[in-house]
Amino acid sequence: MMDVIQQLREQAKKLLEEKKVEMVIGFGEGTELARTTPVFITNPEEVSALTWGPLCANNLVKYLIDYQNLPGNVAVVVKGCDSRSVNRLLTDNQIDREKVVVLGVPCSGQLDWKIVAAAVDPAAKLKGFSDDGESFTVNTDAGDYKFDKKEAMLHKCLVCENPNPVVSDITVGKEQPVKNYEDRFAEVKALEQLGTEEKSVFWDKQFSRCLRCYACRNVCTVCTCRTCVFDQMQPMWVSKRNNLSENTAFHLIRAFHVAGRCVDCGECDRVCPVDIPLRKLNQKILKDLGDLFDAPTPGSEAGLASPLGEFATGDPEEFM
Amino acid sequence: MDSRVVNKGQLPELLDKLARDHTLIAPVREEENVTLFKKVSGASEVQLDYITSDVSPKGCIFPQTEKTISYTYTGDTLEMKEQDEPPKTVLFGVRPCDINSILALDPVFEGKFLDTYYLEKRKNTVIIGLSCSTILSTCFCTAFNSGPCDGKGADLMFTELGDKYYVEVNTEKGSSLVEAYSQYFSKGDTDKLAKAKEEQAKKLEGQFRRKVDLEGVKQVLDENFELPYWDKVFKKCLGCGICTYVCPTCHCFDIFDYVTGEFTGDRFRCWDSCMFPDFTLMAGGHNPRPSRKERVRNRFMHKLKYHLDRYNLDGCVGCGRCISKCPVNIDITQIIKDLKEVGQNA
Repeated sequence: MMDVIQQLREQAKKLLEEKKVEMVIGFGEGTELARTTPVFITNPEEVSALTWGPLCANNLVKYLIDYQNLPGNVAVVVKGCDSRSVNRLLTDNQIDREKVVVLGVPCSGQLDWKIVAAAVDPAAKLKGFSDDGESFTVNTDAGDYKFDKKEAMLHKCLVCENPNPVVSDITVGKEQPVKNYEDRFAEVKALEQLGTEEKSVFWDKQFSRCLRCYACRNVCTVCTCRTCVFDQMQPMWVSKRNNLSENTAFHLIRAFHVAGRCVDCGECDRVCPVDIPLRKLNQKILKDLGDLFDAPTPGSEAGLASPLGEFATGDPEEFM
Repeated sequence: MDSRVVNKGQLPELLDKLARDHTLIAPVREEENVTLFKKVSGASEVQLDYITSDVSPKGCIFPQTEKTISYTYTGDTLEMKEQDEPPKTVLFGVRPCDINSILALDPVFEGKFLDTYYLEKRKNTVIIGLSCSTILSTCFCTAFNSGPCDGKGADLMFTELGDKYYVEVNTEKGSSLVEAYSQYFSKGDTDKLAKAKEEQAKKLEGQFRRKVDLEGVKQVLDENFELPYWDKVFKKCLGCGICTYVCPTCHCFDIFDYVTGEFTGDRFRCWDSCMFPDFTLMAGGHNPRPSRKERVRNRFMHKLKYHLDRYNLDGCVGCGRCISKCPVNIDITQIIKDLKEVGQNA
């Protein structure tokens, strides 16, 4: 993994020096051992700020929207799941392919930083990572900590479809095998088994603690509206009142608004400060789109149209 | 200062009684990894071993959403119904950082204009603090004249010591509660426990990883509204409201009317966040904080300067929630460190 970091830095430096890009967006060291933070590098002398490893969960493609009108080009470090966002933004005409350099990094999974933080001595300094296929070892000056992938990875990584970027200009690192630890939709299927009442009880409990901080929306790479309906005062589709009814309206509108475009990067789920399992909502829609229209995960192929954005005479009409 | 002892075995019974006679709000394990302050009906629902709640308990006194008035227009008169008096409430299990935050909120709502909605709830609430026993890597309350066992601001302060709770009775309110439930509060060997508490506090204070030094930070902000530093920090900010909504000292709100019928409606106030673009959006479309840069700067200026300017109180209490919850690792302790450096290099 250390050579991937070295290569990333070299590529970033080259891109900046040759003025092929104005900025490189990547991962940098965070303020705690178990965290990384997005970095925006414009000076080739500062590429040493770039890092890589199993604690780089953020989908940095979101920032391309901020820089879509920058005169120069932007390079962005992406994992396989993030790369689907690049395709999706291209399909939505949100970014210009000519102006983006995709620095793809094959990924063998991302750890839940909270699990790592809870296990590691908070004063320890990070030395590196190693990956034996089934577990990651975090090497620190206070010793090595081993994390079983099945136990400590983000759930989305257990059912990862694209460990290798589906779109990439410069790929750094070895290709990674697709490894599914469980049925991709196991959690959704379990929820589907519940009766209407039970489903309602489950989601009511989740939505009632929503803070309406809108982190799920703001982190989402397919949320690109200039003025979001939830920020609109007139008409006020959803009011600022925090109650179950308004919160449910918010989450359902959000889920349906990204239906057919959600690339299943799982960022909404990761950032929620009160652990609402938002990915389950999106996954239910993904599963249905697969069942009904044989639709692949949005963004997994270049130029893929949204299954809800096109019409085919063979589409099922079960409800008609 | 008076002090008492509560046997650990008797705490559940005390909590049950408190819940019977008052509205009892306490930490509750909502999900495997989520602890929130909620109304409980008895001790069995209370999570005593929590470390930091995911959202601060400020909402018990300053709710995220509250109806302030209801109105009905009858043709020639306008009838307005104000809030009922809030119930007698016991807020149990509050950590020192969160108690400190309520002290930081008090002067905001008790300034030139008296905010009765806040003040009535504050008056009717007895705060029972609970000393910490675990220090998280994100904790830094010691930077703000507080500590893991500091009872300042609590009516009663509980500290777990072996099979007992050492209870400091800090106020009249606390004293009347002790009297009303005197069978649970024994006089015991309080001197010995006071000493044990002091030792525990000292031990815990040694476990803080974040050493935050605020010396000179306010001065940098006093002298520099514009700093190139902010151009760097804001880039990663997603503009969500996590930091402001989990923060125990953030107190901005919005007021609006919700029309329920042709001649009826309710007036609400809801938490608002300075991280949202519409927070400072004016009629006509002008926005004095047009980008995330100004908004991020405002948040840290508020925490580290404005609150001190206005009330001579810190605007941050070091609970660490914004650090652990920020999706992009914007860390206020790093910002304090960086601002200090900016000051030294100026």
